[in-house]
Amino acid sequence: MRRQGGMNRWLAGGLALVCFALLFVPGLFAPEHLAPPILDLAYAPPSQLPPLGGDSSGRPLLEYALQGASVVALPALLAGLLVTALGIVGGLLGCDTSQRAEAVVQGLGEVVGALPRMVVVLVVALLVPKESRSLLPIALTWAVLSAPGAMDEANAVAARLGGARFVEALRAHGFSRWRIYLFHIIGLNLRPVVVRQGVETVMQVVFLEIGLSYLAVQDTQPSLTHGDSEKSWADLLYLGYQVFLDVPSGHALALGLALVGVVALATVFVTSAVRAR
Amino acid sequence: MKRWWIRPLVRVMAAALLPIAVPLVITLFIWSLPGDPASIVCPPEICGGTEELARDWHLDQGPWHFYLWWMQGALSGDFGNSWRLQPGVPVGELLWQSIPWTAGLVVLAFVPLLIGSALAAMRVLPKKVDGVLQAVGLTPAVVLSLIAAAAVTLKYGAFAYDGEAMRVKLVLGALVLGLSDQALSGAVTGVRSLLEAERNQRYVQIAILRGESVLSNTLPNVLGAIAGQMRARLLHLLSGAVIVEVIVRIDGLGDLLWQGTLSQDFGVVLAAAFGFSALSGVLLILQALVEVGTAMHTRRAPAGFEAPVAEAA
Repeated sequence: MRRQGGMNRWLAGGLALVCFALLFVPGLFAPEHLAPPILDLAYAPPSQLPPLGGDSSGRPLLEYALQGASVVALPALLAGLLVTALGIVGGLLGCDTSQRAEAVVQGLGEVVGALPRMVVVLVVALLVPKESRSLLPIALTWAVLSAPGAMDEANAVAARLGGARFVEALRAHGFSRWRIYLFHIIGLNLRPVVVRQGVETVMQVVFLEIGLSYLAVQDTQPSLTHGDSEKSWADLLYLGYQVFLDVPSGHALALGLALVGVVALATVFVTSAVRAR
Repeated sequence: MKRWWIRPLVRVMAAALLPIAVPLVITLFIWSLPGDPASIVCPPEICGGTEELARDWHLDQGPWHFYLWWMQGALSGDFGNSWRLQPGVPVGELLWQSIPWTAGLVVLAFVPLLIGSALAAMRVLPKKVDGVLQAVGLTPAVVLSLIAAAAVTLKYGAFAYDGEAMRVKLVLGALVLGLSDQALSGAVTGVRSLLEAERNQRYVQIAILRGESVLSNTLPNVLGAIAGQMRARLLHLLSGAVIVEVIVRIDGLGDLLWQGTLSQDFGVVLAAAFGFSALSGVLLILQALVEVGTAMHTRRAPAGFEAPVAEAA
């Protein structure tokens, strides 16, 4: 029977891989410092300074994109993995007969989720010493704050499945515990939820970095998420935004928006690839 | 559930604890930073009088002394003076000036969420719209804020703070806050899925057969969960307000917190975090009140129904 609606799972998976490769692999080739300015190439369009054009000092925007990728890649992926792992824990707790652990997790979730996330993130950013500022502590804080929601949703999926009774039923069919938990529960049932939550966290951390860096750039302050020698994707948006003030920086805005779009698309494709059958 | 009062009670306790615990945690973290707080604010090699400053701001006798002094002042509305952002200016003054802007922004942004949720609950908003809302919701607040800021800059200039410009900023900011980061789509799909799941319950099917309305049957049972979702949405809006306020240039609580963070003004950050935790506490209390009201309502015997009396043998 032909499956109705939605994109082909394999196609979505392939596109997701391409998006992630586009976003994160270039970070491995990011230069430590930007190239020296060439003022003659200020705001050079891609045709004049291939492949992506130049900034206000004639430095290639490609280096901005590469450095931005290196700033977000590892912290965002680690945050996503942490949320996925904690989501799995939440789902497995739903298959356990003991109610105590579940109650403790729910209680912790209430406490952790009681404050606006950005407030917690800014307080964490404030407390990280200036010389060791990076996105990682902020990303992990965001992941911890996102985890209760992921755990709750995974727990609800496990509960809908039948929880401990589902495990007992499969045990009665002769399946091993490893197979039940790893394949049936995590692989088949929790996968759509925990992977989606994980990849959404990746997207949120990338957007958070762009947001925080943009705010710092706007106030001409050092960023809270990376060193002064690095550029973020937010710098592209800031540079590009000046197109509204008649500065010829439309190519920077287009590049910044394209990168944001690829992040969002990657999330959509992953979600589509891992959806339940 | 017999012990229905536990959850609301825990929420009220958490609401009372938050404004006390958050400044305490921040204070302890400030003292855990390398170097004493007075030297961080005023390094002896750059500015003189670090010791006097520490004495004036009660930083010289450890975190507990500082915390108790600060808390005592905060509870009476005195948050001390700004350390670095606007040195000498009372933080309370900055706080009172910023709260109305943030409140206005969040309330305005919450209106479309509330309307969308209500329409989804009543099945007026078709499910087909979800895709569009989700696509719009994928846009980060920073991008939509840029568009809003550009619109304001083009019409009123980069640093316009007069009445009309501020009203436009507030409306555009609220629109950005309501649409970006899946705020509206999350509210609509969340409420819809909650009610759809409840509609499939057996008791609702029986109620329909008895000619009763669906909403009057389902609503009391899902109102607590909806209140929880709405609290989460409001927290989400408060969180996003930081980015929107800074980019669109609205002098709200989020902007104050951001400026305090950038300038390492612990006095401002403590007060702003206290303000946010107090707001979160109010939201927790509101959720608890909804839960209590719902529990009382569902435990009340229906009109015209008399409790069975044990018949004499």
